[in-house]
Amino acid sequence: MIKSMKTKILTLLLFAFTTSMLVTNPFSSQGQSDPWTQQQLLAPADLAKVLNNPKSPQPIVYSIGMQAIVKGSIDIGPTMRAENLNTLKQKLNKLPKNSQIVVYCGCCPFSRCPNVRPAMALLKSMQFTNYKLLNLPQNVKVDWIDKGYPMTE
Amino acid sequence: MAVALLVFGSLISTVTAQPTGLEIGNKTPDIRLPSVKGDTVSLSSQKGKLVLIDFWGTWCAPCVQEQAELARLYKKYKQASSANGKGFEIYGVALEAKKPNWENFISKNKINWIQVSDLKFWRSPVAKTYNIQGLPFNVLIDGRGVILAKNLHGTELEKEIGKNLNK
Repeated sequence: MIKSMKTKILTLLLFAFTTSMLVTNPFSSQGQSDPWTQQQLLAPADLAKVLNNPKSPQPIVYSIGMQAIVKGSIDIGPTMRAENLNTLKQKLNKLPKNSQIVVYCGCCPFSRCPNVRPAMALLKSMQFTNYKLLNLPQNVKVDWIDKGYPMTE
Repeated sequence: MAVALLVFGSLISTVTAQPTGLEIGNKTPDIRLPSVKGDTVSLSSQKGKLVLIDFWGTWCAPCVQEQAELARLYKKYKQASSANGKGFEIYGVALEAKKPNWENFISKNKINWIQVSDLKFWRSPVAKTYNIQGLPFNVLIDGRGVILAKNLHGTELEKEIGKNLNK
């Protein structure tokens, strides 16, 4: 009797747990451990528009991947490496916390990119208030170069 | 009219030898890029061999993972003869940004097949010519440079290579 009750309670608990996982799942579609929000993803078209209009205030754009491709971006190097992350940190140290900052890598989809997480986590930990991750879902070729958006020389 | 055009179009495509393109049955566009040593190695120089064009990068985790498998296939098949000639070759095109990363990977992993790169990463003109949407990506061509298969990996790749070679 007691045993069957125990089983029932366990089953109920398991059910409740599974249900709660299912309910919260939609929010984790971008990965629960990702140190950014949906609002922090910047559409390539929006950045291209800003870069093409010298009159609009220009953000500071950091390339945190293999190569600086976005026009005017500063080449930090892959932030999966501690020395490059440190370079970024030193540059950020000189900026006011409300600076408009954009970072991008573009090697591969975010799920496989080793560089975006360390950089976004650093910006978060340094308490910047106005930073974005350029949303390149596939890579910088498909989502930037092929679209004809402005590039470095 | 449309039908006439269609018929005419298909006539042309049967008359003309394989058009250059990226579909199976098309002749691949040639690639001419520098090797690690700096000399240009063209894809067309491998005419007569079954060639796997492997687009990769040291920054691409699945590509790096696949290199060990390619080493095994290369060892197994490089001397085998094919319908249009002899041998199997891998023509590795690295979408690399900096030479040391590429060079070190090759020597560390003792890669002994053809390796070329223009060190232009995703801006490489070849990425555009071959309409590459993501890595890893590969193309298998026969001795005439005609595409046999695209983007096969693992056992599917080995099966396709084996199928086109006489052991």
